[in-house]
Amino acid sequence: MSFAPALHAEWIKIRTLRSLPAALAAMVVVTAAFSALGAADADDSDRLFSAFFGINFGQVAAVAFGTTAVSAEFRGGALRLTLSAVPDRRRWFAAKATAIALPALAAGLLTGCVTLLAGRAVLGASAPGWAEGLRGAVGCGLHLTLMALFAAGLATVLRSGVATLSVLVPFLLIVSFVIGDLSAGVADYLPDRAGQVALHSSWEGTLGPWSGLAVSALWAAAALLAGGWSLARRDA
Amino acid sequence: MTSIDVRDLTKEYGGRRAVDGLTFDVRPGRVTGFLGPNGAGKSTTFRLVLGLDRATAGTATIGGTAYPRLRDPLRRVGALLDARAAHGSRTARGHLLALAASNRIPARRVDAALEETGLTAVARRRVRTYSLGMRQRLGIAAALLGDPEVVLLDEPANGLDPEGIVWIRALLRRLAAEGRTVLVSSHLMGETAAFADHLLILGRGRLLADTPVREFIHARVQPHVRIRTTEPAALADLLARHGHDASRDEDGTWTVRHARGDDLGRLMSEAGVPVLELATREATLEEAYLDLTAAETEFTAQPQEV
Repeated sequence: MSFAPALHAEWIKIRTLRSLPAALAAMVVVTAAFSALGAADADDSDRLFSAFFGINFGQVAAVAFGTTAVSAEFRGGALRLTLSAVPDRRRWFAAKATAIALPALAAGLLTGCVTLLAGRAVLGASAPGWAEGLRGAVGCGLHLTLMALFAAGLATVLRSGVATLSVLVPFLLIVSFVIGDLSAGVADYLPDRAGQVALHSSWEGTLGPWSGLAVSALWAAAALLAGGWSLARRDA
Repeated sequence: MTSIDVRDLTKEYGGRRAVDGLTFDVRPGRVTGFLGPNGAGKSTTFRLVLGLDRATAGTATIGGTAYPRLRDPLRRVGALLDARAAHGSRTARGHLLALAASNRIPARRVDAALEETGLTAVARRRVRTYSLGMRQRLGIAAALLGDPEVVLLDEPANGLDPEGIVWIRALLRRLAAEGRTVLVSSHLMGETAAFADHLLILGRGRLLADTPVREFIHARVQPHVRIRTTEPAALADLLARHGHDASRDEDGTWTVRHARGDDLGRLMSEAGVPVLELATREATLEEAYLDLTAAETEFTAQPQEV
């Protein structure tokens, strides 16, 4: 039993479901556009984040991508057909996660680069430097990938796209903002906020850019492990 | 030669036995009809055979191997479980290409399966635009994709138009004639009688019969002959003299049990009894099935859950 055919199949599934490439395209456009808008009105408090402000909205698209890629399997007995083709569930789930991660990473890095270039053009003199900017662009790509994987893991546990999105979207757009403003410290370790440290010029908490991404990666890994465990345990 | 071997297969859901100690073999080269009312455990059995649900007890193997251990299983076993499995936003071709890739099946098999199921013209249309019958054909195309020796189809005639029903009948007959192992579930008896050689009958999760279709019908229901004549007295006398078990219905027709139309026709001709009508009524699978289930009192006493 080898991994490549399963990965190939999952890649075809992502390619052939129009909403999935659309979600990735939206991720690039939304992040870059909101970043440019934010940069035009920036207050110099954080040079790098002024250029990457749109990540708050772009990560919703990343979550939608990861969720939809998985939830498509939980409609109308699709998972049964999938698992009759690839009965080794762990192998299948690893292929699914890889097929989500690779395009998300490619689109995420593209998002980072486009956003950085747009931000530098808008910000002019107060733009982040190239070294810092590049860290932001790579961090942006990794953060978006990890958010997509976190959502994919959660969707596998919940077995529903609607349930996953109705947990994650309010969380990203509201709860995280509110908790983040009320109490730094614990909130710094939330999956979206930890990863976003990489998009800031300066940070106050215990997490730096790379340790923040590592915490996000732990969240994603935990969600995927829970998803894989639930998948292996339950009847399809 | 690959057969499906099921031994003491049991599946419980929260104390209720959906499948209860099933033991049977499905042999190659013939169509085995899997018959039973909704909720009898047919679909659960399919899922257990495919390793999708875990059995509470017992085993199901294909050619001696548990399904999840098959290498590239679609090349050995093709299954239709649910016509809704294809995502509405994909094209039929995209759906089959992904399935094919997972089992290293060449893309030309995708086109062959589309051709075989009559979907070539609509292969690049999104599945959500399909009728139920077309989705059913797509599900069958997925089952045939890997040119498998074993074919499992759960209610394949669902939603098919009359032309589609004739087509699926011919397809099943051909697959069996090619030496494949074909297991087809249905709750429609007329349909099953039209394609099956062998029957597995399930009720409340238990196996009620494992028998060739002809034998099943003949063992349970006797064929009879209907006769109308202008001279009932002469006919009654003739039948009595030859020891036939006959009775006269209210409308004046005679029913002769355990007899053949050929014999009675000759007999009446020789005796000079005028014949207005002489018809042999073959027993149907439905009658045999009802005879079987009448014996199972719990069947008639309680409605089946769907």
